[in-house]
Amino acid sequence: MTTKLSRRRFLKVAAAGAGGIGAAALLAACGGAAPQGGQPTGGQAQPAAPVQGDAVVTEITFWWWDQVGEVWKEPFEKAHPNIKLNFVNTPFADAHDKLLTSFAAGSGAPDVASIEIGRVGNFTAKGGLADLLAPPFDAGSLKNDMVAYKWTQGSTADGRLVCMPWDIGPAGVWYRTDIFEALGLPTDPEAVEELIGGPNRTWDDFFAFARQLKEKSGGKTSLFADAGTDIYGAVYRQQGEGYADGNKVLIEEKATRPFQLAARARKDGIDANIPWWGAEWQTGLKDNAFAGMVIACWMQGGLTREQPDLVGKWRVVRAPEANYNWGGSFMAIPEQSKNKEAAWTFVKWACATAEGQNILFKASGVFPAYKPAWQDPLYDEPVPFFGGQRAYRLWTEIGDNIKAIFRTPNDLQLDDIVGAELTRVLQEGKDPVQAAKDAEAEAIRRIPDMQA
Amino acid sequence: MATTSVSVEQQRAADRGSTLREVKRNFWAYIFISPFYILYAIFGMFPLLYGVWLSFFKWDGISPMQWIGLRNYTRLFADDIWWYAVYNTIWLFFGATVPQLTIALVLAFIINSNYIRGKDIYRAAFFSPFVASSVAISIVFLSIFGARYGLLNYALSFVGLGPIRWLEDAAWIKPSIAMVIIWQWTGYSMIIFLASLQSINAELHEAAKVDGARTRDVFWHITMPLMRPVILFQVILSIIGAMQNFDIPVMLAGGTQSSSPGGTDRAGLVAMVQLYWTAFKYGDFGYAAAMALILFFLILIFSVMYNRWQGRNPTD
Repeated sequence: MTTKLSRRRFLKVAAAGAGGIGAAALLAACGGAAPQGGQPTGGQAQPAAPVQGDAVVTEITFWWWDQVGEVWKEPFEKAHPNIKLNFVNTPFADAHDKLLTSFAAGSGAPDVASIEIGRVGNFTAKGGLADLLAPPFDAGSLKNDMVAYKWTQGSTADGRLVCMPWDIGPAGVWYRTDIFEALGLPTDPEAVEELIGGPNRTWDDFFAFARQLKEKSGGKTSLFADAGTDIYGAVYRQQGEGYADGNKVLIEEKATRPFQLAARARKDGIDANIPWWGAEWQTGLKDNAFAGMVIACWMQGGLTREQPDLVGKWRVVRAPEANYNWGGSFMAIPEQSKNKEAAWTFVKWACATAEGQNILFKASGVFPAYKPAWQDPLYDEPVPFFGGQRAYRLWTEIGDNIKAIFRTPNDLQLDDIVGAELTRVLQEGKDPVQAAKDAEAEAIRRIPDMQA
Repeated sequence: MATTSVSVEQQRAADRGSTLREVKRNFWAYIFISPFYILYAIFGMFPLLYGVWLSFFKWDGISPMQWIGLRNYTRLFADDIWWYAVYNTIWLFFGATVPQLTIALVLAFIINSNYIRGKDIYRAAFFSPFVASSVAISIVFLSIFGARYGLLNYALSFVGLGPIRWLEDAAWIKPSIAMVIIWQWTGYSMIIFLASLQSINAELHEAAKVDGARTRDVFWHITMPLMRPVILFQVILSIIGAMQNFDIPVMLAGGTQSSSPGGTDRAGLVAMVQLYWTAFKYGDFGYAAAMALILFFLILIFSVMYNRWQGRNPTD
């Protein structure tokens, strides 16, 4: 779940081969702790009938695509000595495909599966996942503790909850104090937000500031890397993510303004024109080609590992115009599972206790969708990564204040259709209004049952 | 007329009878070769036929399959993106596979000549890219093709060219992919050509030389005709391989600027990528099965066409 929608772009790089370098690159992009030592493997013969005291130990398998999931094993087994947690790192590029295959085959699914926001609409529309509102599960009592829109996303059209809210991705504008200071710009978060962020500032203000920064640096440094990710990615999500509501295509409504703003940023030359998630981006960061980014909280894990020199130099402020969310995941229990009750014990502990959520949050920056976890004193402490800024409290304020997001079974294809038009807008200067129209027409033409 | 057809019928009946008799007579031999056929039936034939069956259904992988007759095919024939992906695939065949085979043939001829020392070193050097994993290679090339910090643009800057946005400019995506494919596969083709060159009787070349033939004439009039079967074999395999290109296009054009497979304007979208995305990302298995079948027929048509054109035995 540190892997978000946009991260999919990078992950596709590793899609063809998950082994070796592919997996290493994937981890590099994914955030979370670097894998150390042996990795538990699934499907191997386990010692027969492990018994602890009088109770038989139940083993459950948990699939997720970030090695950092290992941090849960010890504290969970301590709290629940009769359950053994087998964490299996399933690379993001094929984690969902693998789950789908095991459903189609009728066997092979784990006891607890992870489902990312980009795929959740696809899985809630199908069978194969247990309803967590029906006995033996009791998710109903947790509803008010979860960020509201996540609950809706994890539910089916007929009101069953099949995907348990896990994490969210409150997002904002990140910037580097060392570059800002060198260019004679304010570095204090309050002063910077006054200039470019929060509900009183618009993207126009943000662009004006970006132009000023680029001029001051003599054209070397931009405020952000790529209009496609930093601008489109933010503006689109600010109005509530989702290119369709059921069968009704909303692309023209949702994509036109983000296309326009991204096109303007590119035309004005205020982005560094460096695509995200690759070697170019990492090098650009080292080379001070850009001084900030518009992205979600989960970026912290990857940056800590990939760019340790920059730890402490980052600050974060709210995005102009509106708060937004980027990414997030769910946990689900496949109908195939033979240990549903033990699986549920784990899901509840991991997603809906302050203990479980905050263990992972501390290790990786994966932000809880479970609001009571935010009461922990941890959230009011200064964050060394953000140079002592109390950034976690800011994330909770952003996270609790986000527009609803539609998810549909066709999300991935809709994303790809809009993504193709976005490349035309940015790389070939296509008219943004026309591009949104064309994407809408393509969705209606190519996806069965879609309508305007 | 009538008598002939009767005799043909009788002959066929007799053949059938004798086949059965043959099977009975060699019962144990058939038992011994059966493991291959049983495994092939399970892992080869069944998926193939099931794929054909699947192409008549709407199926998301979980829900019950729903018979929709030929609707997947009518939809596919009208799907402009699919045919664009097929176009890109064929482009890559001519842009990558044809140069790859041509370069390989010339290299093999040079390495096989008497003028070259250290043949083993060249052989190993040219072959080594083929041994490396495509994914690893693609990651290296992603850095080389980088628009701002890439090695290639850095080199071009010395001659006053560029920078070229290799993987983001729609005009350059396919050539970039082609370069990587050529780099990876040329050595492999070269080794096969070399093996075939070495099986040509050296006396033929010597005789031609004695008769005063120039190297070029030897190549065109002796080497090429004798290598025809190997070239045919290589081209047919390459057609099959090129139509199923997947890993390098996915790596180079799937993950950079765009969230859409194929990169800018889908310029790097190939048929197998569209097929995989349709099945496993968009959850449309029946439609993807129809794509697979169309791809199968395209490969068949191209292979037969080439075979008709070049496959005649030169001595006929």
